[in-house]
Amino acid sequence: MSLEQRSEELKLHDTGAPAAPDTGAPAEPDTSAPAEPGTAAPSGQGARPRRWPGSMRALRFSNFSALYVGAGLFALFSLWVPDTFLRTSTFTTILSEQAITGIVAVGLVLPFAAGAFDLSFAYNVGFGSILVAWMIGDHGFPVWAAVVLAVAACTAIGAINGALVTVVGINSVIATLGVGSCLSAATNWVSGGNQIIGLSNAFQSIADDSLLGISLPVYYLLALALIAWFALEHNPWGRRVYAVGGNREAARLAGIRADRIVFTTLTLVGAAAGFAGVLVSAQIGAGDPSVGPPYLLPAFAGVFLGSTQIHRGRFNVWGTVVAVLVLAMGVKGLQLAGAPFWLPDMFNGVALIVAVGISQGEHVRQFLARLRRLRAPD
Amino acid sequence: MRDCAEAPANSPPGEALLRLAGVSKSFGSQRALDEASLELHAGEVCALIGENGSGKSTLIKILSGFHRAEDGGQAWFRGDRVPLDDHSHQWRQHMRFVHQDLGLIPNMSVLDNLALTAGYQTGVGGRIRWRAEAARARRMLARVGLEGVDLSAPVQALAPVERTLVAIARAIVDWRDESGVLILDEPTTALSRPEVARLFSAIRELAARGTAVLFVSHRLEEALEIADRVVVLRDGRVVAARPLAGLDERSLLAMMVDASDPTPGRPAPASDRRPLLEVRGLSGRRTEGLSFTLHRGEILGFAGVSGSGREEIADLIFGSSRARCGEIVMDGKPTARPAPASSLARGIALVPADRVQRSVIPGFTVRESLTLANLAPLTKAGMIDRAAERRETLEWIGRVGLAPADPDRPVAALSGGNQQKSVLARCLRTSPRVLLLDEPVQGVDVAARRRILTLIKRCAAAGTAVLVCASDAHDLADLCDRVLVMRHGRAVAELTGTELRPRAILAAALASERHTHEIVSERQARALAQTEALP
Repeated sequence: MSLEQRSEELKLHDTGAPAAPDTGAPAEPDTSAPAEPGTAAPSGQGARPRRWPGSMRALRFSNFSALYVGAGLFALFSLWVPDTFLRTSTFTTILSEQAITGIVAVGLVLPFAAGAFDLSFAYNVGFGSILVAWMIGDHGFPVWAAVVLAVAACTAIGAINGALVTVVGINSVIATLGVGSCLSAATNWVSGGNQIIGLSNAFQSIADDSLLGISLPVYYLLALALIAWFALEHNPWGRRVYAVGGNREAARLAGIRADRIVFTTLTLVGAAAGFAGVLVSAQIGAGDPSVGPPYLLPAFAGVFLGSTQIHRGRFNVWGTVVAVLVLAMGVKGLQLAGAPFWLPDMFNGVALIVAVGISQGEHVRQFLARLRRLRAPD
Repeated sequence: MRDCAEAPANSPPGEALLRLAGVSKSFGSQRALDEASLELHAGEVCALIGENGSGKSTLIKILSGFHRAEDGGQAWFRGDRVPLDDHSHQWRQHMRFVHQDLGLIPNMSVLDNLALTAGYQTGVGGRIRWRAEAARARRMLARVGLEGVDLSAPVQALAPVERTLVAIARAIVDWRDESGVLILDEPTTALSRPEVARLFSAIRELAARGTAVLFVSHRLEEALEIADRVVVLRDGRVVAARPLAGLDERSLLAMMVDASDPTPGRPAPASDRRPLLEVRGLSGRRTEGLSFTLHRGEILGFAGVSGSGREEIADLIFGSSRARCGEIVMDGKPTARPAPASSLARGIALVPADRVQRSVIPGFTVRESLTLANLAPLTKAGMIDRAAERRETLEWIGRVGLAPADPDRPVAALSGGNQQKSVLARCLRTSPRVLLLDEPVQGVDVAARRRILTLIKRCAAAGTAVLVCASDAHDLADLCDRVLVMRHGRAVAELTGTELRPRAILAAALASERHTHEIVSERQARALAQTEALP
């Protein structure tokens, strides 16, 4: 899907197409101004006028549309529901509620960057959640052992995904869909379809405690995002991951063991899902067989929307984190403004389609280019 | 060109079904077709031959309407002047093409593949009338002599020649009589000898019923066997258009290759070069038991038409394609199953032929693409040193002459020649002892070609063993110390020193076995030049 379109997209890196819709702010002014001398390729191909000076270019709308949209949303809700929205608690709640989604989404960036899908991670979250609760609540395991075992089990599930994709050779969408269904079954089997309660306070403190007024999962997210960012952007391994995702055959010919890369990323997303599952159980103080699947769409939305941010055309960590938080702020604001209960889902879906549509949809892009030409003849 | 128009005596009596004159086409500064003309007659098979880049494909693509000919091109169909550039004009309905890749859908049945063009016959409620469909399919297949084939079998389950015949049947599916033009582009590449014979009998059958067939092939012996007339293209010009009678492979070759062979033969390589890589009994999908030795500092070329095995040698050695059997010996250590990563570790690097599919990584910048194969020297404490990476990228950009010299430009946005330079730089950065190049200058502009060839020579001069597989005889003659010519999976000739000329390479690659030895010798080449000089 979007993986194939990425090359296309990168060529248009500098068109400055607005990547998000509902700010009401004017899109970037015309880009058809004459190119600075020396920036145009002799061939003319791929050369685009650059108007933003180097230091400012990173802050362009096209790279940070989610932040601009976030600012727009902030202003909107500040005017609409000032007394409930403009409170510190609103934002600490958003952070702590979204930290777990963020952790899953950051994990999900890895296989996406390597060109593999994982549809099973949300079920893996549910599985990890019920597993840790089952060990602590039903069998009295020590907290640390239960946490380690649950994360290890989910990591193993990720490794199974990896083996199905690389050793057996099943398409990753299908393999992880199958594994996801099995995980859903296993979750209900372990729990009998019921909540598991009686989790110790020590366990709950993993997710409930706060530091400087911000709950611990936010710090976990920050730490994991830092590690993932370092691995993807600064370590040779990350370069190989992106190479495999960009062109698997070319990566293979450059001496990269592509199968190994895909296997590792799918295993790691399993670990992230397991950790998220543990945190969910600790946060709600119970093992609930139904907690996993709701993570599927927000995490996907975050990763895809994130790929239109910061490092456009690449699935990247900070873009994903920003996207998850901005979407959550929109949802929160709508809730506080008394929007009907179904509106947040609608908001997530529309935001994803519009944002990705503008940055990747071929026809939309042509339309925008035409608009710009109309506005600035010559 | 002109000798064709002014030589009606050579044409069979009667009016040409299709006639083209003054057809030209340039791509940039390159003249792909220069005032070409063509005459096709009903009931006749005409062979179109010429080496790579002589303008065959361009001519076919103008016929199919894919390319637009330049002003001045004229066409007549059944004696009436018709517009050459009007895609929707009636006369194009009579042009039917079967391309080398056939364009069938492999996992769909024979019947469905035929119906894709012809449409399904439906009954009440849009129900497909399968029985009527089957009857029609059989009728169509009978026209090309294909009988008893299982209509419900997926096309991929058929023998190669049966697939070709299905493709032909499909191309002419709606012809009521066989009075159109059928253009077969390299139809025999994937076929074995007996299969070729079966295809030829079908082609003859069609011609006998009034079809004008244009047969495009690399294989001269096949052109001689099937065609009544031949049109020879060289450098975009028609150098001969005449009946085949009285011609043989040698005279055809003489027409295809420029007599004034500009490339001087190279001095024979010094014999004291030490062997570096030895290939023993290598067999892949097309190659059969290939053995040779690659020496330090040598540039060894592999020539051959497509399908000869030439195109898979580099991949088999590198390990990106699996060999059926055979081993690669380097440093005295044999390997039966090489793999890309282990080959790179041993000092073997590959520049593959298909740039878009196999080299360019969409989304990567020049810097990321260039350093990909060897990041270890740039990594400190698990972190890629961006500044050092940038410095080194700029250095390589200068060394291979990449333009623009911008390390942060996406590789996908570079021109073909610059992409190729970046891939070459990626490989050279791994300091290979053996450099495998598959079509290193295909689809690159003239300046980039010169630059790349120079880089390769410099690399060999520094002691690297270079292996080049290329379809262009001129590239090989320019570059190599020694050329092995492949045919039907085997190396059939070895050319060095003064024998190493484009003409000799082509002769060995195109001619059938028995002529090779005579043709490649220098004396024969000179004799050929004289033959050609004669009117």
